[in-house]
Amino acid sequence: MSGVTDTIKAIFVKDLIAEFRAKQLLPTIVCLGVIIAWIFRVAAQAASIDISVAAGAVLLIAVLFAGILVCEKSFAVELENDCLGSLLLAPVDAGDIYLAKLLVNIVILCIFEIVTVPVVLVLFKVTVTGKWLQLIMVLLLANIGISSVGTLLGCVVQQTKTAGSLLSVLVMAVLMPMMIPAIVALLLLFGPVGGQALNVGTFGIAGNFRAAVGYMTAFDAIFVTVCWLLFGLVVGD
Amino acid sequence: MALSVAAVEPVEYNIVYIHVPAAICSLVCFTVLFVCSIQHLRTKDEFWDHVAAACGEVGLVFATVLNATGSIFAYAAWGVWWTPSLRLISSAMLWFLYVAYLILRVSLPDEGRKGRICAVFGIIAFVDVPLVYISARYIPDIHWPKVSFQSGWQSAALGLAVSGTLLLAAVLIWLRVDILKSLNQDATQGMK
Repeated sequence: MSGVTDTIKAIFVKDLIAEFRAKQLLPTIVCLGVIIAWIFRVAAQAASIDISVAAGAVLLIAVLFAGILVCEKSFAVELENDCLGSLLLAPVDAGDIYLAKLLVNIVILCIFEIVTVPVVLVLFKVTVTGKWLQLIMVLLLANIGISSVGTLLGCVVQQTKTAGSLLSVLVMAVLMPMMIPAIVALLLLFGPVGGQALNVGTFGIAGNFRAAVGYMTAFDAIFVTVCWLLFGLVVGD
Repeated sequence: MALSVAAVEPVEYNIVYIHVPAAICSLVCFTVLFVCSIQHLRTKDEFWDHVAAACGEVGLVFATVLNATGSIFAYAAWGVWWTPSLRLISSAMLWFLYVAYLILRVSLPDEGRKGRICAVFGIIAFVDVPLVYISARYIPDIHWPKVSFQSGWQSAALGLAVSGTLLLAAVLIWLRVDILKSLNQDATQGMK
């Protein structure tokens, strides 16, 4: 058990130090997030729509795009000098490498959100007083969902010529079921739609906040487990 | 609430005889793809990879028919081509997963771990399929959860359509597997 923790810790610390030293990814994704929010804010103003409705969608789109970039970079850096090959030669379980990369990606996305969320809240004039804990929970679950699928598929696409664009298609196709309850949860938190209105029809899947969070938790648990089990098959031999 | 197909139904309702078999076929193809993916990972036999690839291609055809006929029926019934109803979202998701699977298949180089990586994605994609079923059965929706007929002949016609479509899918998969096998043999001989 101690060996597993040490492996995960070693890769986790190595990746975070490399990112903080190089400062390649974080400035890029933060800049991307702010630009996405700004463009949508301008568009919402031009169309004269209720901007608080757009806030949740904008935040989720920004996190999704940032997540795809983070996951793609996660294994791209390991290709230089065949670092991934050397990593796999070490007497460690492939699942531990996956878990370490997953944790790194979640942490980077959390740092990204520390900057982007306040920007979105200010730009879209949304107040979440007293609901910060729920907001953090939804964003953390979204981060775990995006990273779980993205980390595995980020490794898969490194073997193709169209790594980045292919990863976007694969991740978005698999993540769509999680995006629906996530957006509903954010709509409920940001307040443009009451819980009662969501109980029927289109958003019946997440009629209330607890149902949406429960769905996201189940999604995350399933995909973290499945991807962890399958990672060895992707990198093996 | 069930969609009631009257004994003499409006012409648009006849689309049920294509729409429902296409839905069943696309789900069956996806299930077979999942089983073949697991078999390929277990045995490393190329045959299972070929069957999975064929199921992906044939399944995409039926998923396209499912969404296209659904859109035509939606326009006739509700006056819109598409609406963000959960069943329609789920059908669209299924279609996107098939497309993503085939894009991944053509993006990977032929040598090496192509079959294994596609099998891994096939398993991940299959995890999404139960959501289609769950959303159809347990979630309030504008879509009809089941079709009810007033005449036994209509039920028999739908049963026949489903059986016929499944048979067609099986034949298409079999033919495609044959083609993939010969392409693989040609490639192997070319390398020698």
